[in-house]
Amino acid sequence: MAIHKILFASLLICLLIQSSHAATKERLFSDLEKSALEVTATPSRVGEGVGVDKLSITWKVSSTATKEPEFKAIKVKLCYAPASQVDRPWRKTENELFKDKSCPHKISSWSYDPAMKAGQSFDYTLERDIPTGTYFVRAYAVDTKDHEVAFGQSTNEDKTTNLFSVQAISGRHKSLDIASVCFSVFSVVALLVFFVNEKRKAKIEQSE
Amino acid sequence: MAPNHSNENGSIGSSLHGVTAREQIFSFSVEDGPSSQAIRSDDPTAKFALPVDSEHRAKVFKPLSFAKPHMRAFHLGWISFFTCFISTFAAAPLVPVIRDNLDLTKTDIGNAGVASVSGAIFSRLAMGAVCDLLGARYGTAFSLMLSAPAVFSMSFVADAGSYLAVRFMIGFCLATFVSCQYWTSVMFTGKIIGLVNGCAGGWGDMGGGVTQLLMPMVFHVIKLTGATPFTAWRFAFFIPGFLQIIMGILVLTLGQDLPDGNLSTLQKSGQVSKDKFSKVFWFAVKNYRTWILFVLYGFSMGVELTINNVISGYFYDRFNLTLHTAGIVAASFGMANFFARPFGGYASDVAARLFGMRGRLWTLWILQTVGALFCIWLGRASSLPIAILAMMLFSVGTQAACGALFGVAPFVSRRSLGLISGLTGAGGNFGSGVTQLLFFSSSRFSTAEGLSLMGVMAVVCTIPVAFIHFPQWGSMFLRPSQHEERSKEEHYYGGEWTEEEKSLGLHEGSIKFAENSRSERGRKAVLADIPTPETGSPAHV
Repeated sequence: MAIHKILFASLLICLLIQSSHAATKERLFSDLEKSALEVTATPSRVGEGVGVDKLSITWKVSSTATKEPEFKAIKVKLCYAPASQVDRPWRKTENELFKDKSCPHKISSWSYDPAMKAGQSFDYTLERDIPTGTYFVRAYAVDTKDHEVAFGQSTNEDKTTNLFSVQAISGRHKSLDIASVCFSVFSVVALLVFFVNEKRKAKIEQSE
Repeated sequence: MAPNHSNENGSIGSSLHGVTAREQIFSFSVEDGPSSQAIRSDDPTAKFALPVDSEHRAKVFKPLSFAKPHMRAFHLGWISFFTCFISTFAAAPLVPVIRDNLDLTKTDIGNAGVASVSGAIFSRLAMGAVCDLLGARYGTAFSLMLSAPAVFSMSFVADAGSYLAVRFMIGFCLATFVSCQYWTSVMFTGKIIGLVNGCAGGWGDMGGGVTQLLMPMVFHVIKLTGATPFTAWRFAFFIPGFLQIIMGILVLTLGQDLPDGNLSTLQKSGQVSKDKFSKVFWFAVKNYRTWILFVLYGFSMGVELTINNVISGYFYDRFNLTLHTAGIVAASFGMANFFARPFGGYASDVAARLFGMRGRLWTLWILQTVGALFCIWLGRASSLPIAILAMMLFSVGTQAACGALFGVAPFVSRRSLGLISGLTGAGGNFGSGVTQLLFFSSSRFSTAEGLSLMGVMAVVCTIPVAFIHFPQWGSMFLRPSQHEERSKEEHYYGGEWTEEEKSLGLHEGSIKFAENSRSERGRKAVLADIPTPETGSPAHV
């Protein structure tokens, strides 16, 4: 039957796509040159309340870096510390770089030329959609193909030192709360009004 | 002899008549036949837009019409049910944002998912009584307008505990399934109630798919106005909340409980001999088939409800889609309900025509097992196109199984029909709670592994359908009983009444039902009923 042929053909096509995808993505984190960059991150708070926390970040190329000629750009990212990854598989650390989800928040990126060996220092204001958790900062050095070749991070290899914590904004607003209460009350009251009204009408009709 | 009034409004079990969509509903009992016809024959039925029977139930189903009161009730009913599905699963596509805002763990998210379907286990059972007492309009409106505050209170949620509590309270509104089916049952006559209820059920279930599209879109639009993500998702919940209030008001103003008017203004006529709830309950609970159906529905509708909660997050996390795209993919799962559930019911009917009840059971087993096998495949698929293909095939199989199950349920009992339908429906929610608790609430399994394991469990839990045996019709592997008495439908349905009740004639409705259910013997039996001519084949050709 025609429908069976179509299903079978689409199945074959899907399998082919799948197998062709498999070959290309095997760059591993463990292959990257460790500590090629020295990164520090110091949190500070400006003013009162949330949403205005700042990170002072510096990165520079370490003297022990060997792949330095390949560097074309430096990408700085905010990464989750192990404490914030517990029971949260969507933040899991994976060795395969394309699967790794532990550094989803981009801080900034810099195009690199050898004159920049001494590094950069800048301030980063935390975005308002950064969740609550413990973090560290990692800088990746990428080559011309946009593949990571080396990295450095503000914590040690076990990710236990120099971690800082972020408190997210709650997202709640007084106006939202008030609107919510108003509509809820309206809903219940409207129902009661209808109910009482109809009961009254029925009583009147019955007594007629 | 006392007339059988078990079809009258208010009698136990009548609230769920027609829920199962394949039962015969009789507009008047045997004894009262002529007299009730005399009373009603001079009623001005010309005032109805659709042709009606003697109880003023519509005989025709016109989905494109909004005529008062029948089609209007249908549309108000299924759209209310649809709206409640939207609210109950509104959080699911937004979980990637919510989990960051509230710092949720996988356990928190899983538990909230369980909570979202658990409330309805109880509210569905209670809704039957509410509809009997207050009418379908108020049943629906109560469900919509009393759970709307829960939807709005998402703006207050600050941690995992409050998130779980709010999702639990929103979940109560899934009781609209019962009120929707009750409403269509009183508005449409028995011959077409199958199609009407199948459409109402399937189109309502689509809400679980639409919400996966709607919520990310609303979220996106609100973000465009400048709100931060953590505020935008809270505000997005106002949309399902508004929809519920609007539908509640529409139901109360435009709807009508019964073809002839509203419950409170109509006068109830005559004496109603209500069936004893304790008896109805006992016969439902005593029948082992009820519990097999409870488990089965838990792994067809239950799996569907679970998928509504987890599939969007699954595609977002595993295949790195945007919130929007993950929503579109997830939506197509729920949208398949539009044709898949009616198809399942239709397939069951066709199988019954050919092979009788045995055909229905095999159809149910095949559809549910095939659906579950595709669920296993979905969990194992590592590329997006294959995952989508697996998901689509899985959705059709499982949703068709839901439809096919309600092709079997009406025949399990006549006396306790309403309660069995309610219990089966509750089984769906129960199954969803169990699967979410086991496979999606801890980091023990990845979501992909959870999907495959759920599929395996569904395959295993579909096997009990082989144990459903009707003495008069057989089962999947056994032939019908050859015993003189037990092979009769009357014996099976009559067995639900005591001798005393039979002497009062209370079982007449069941006997009539038994006669009509002879169609479940399949083609061979129907042919066998035709008496062979005395002469047989002619002596000379």
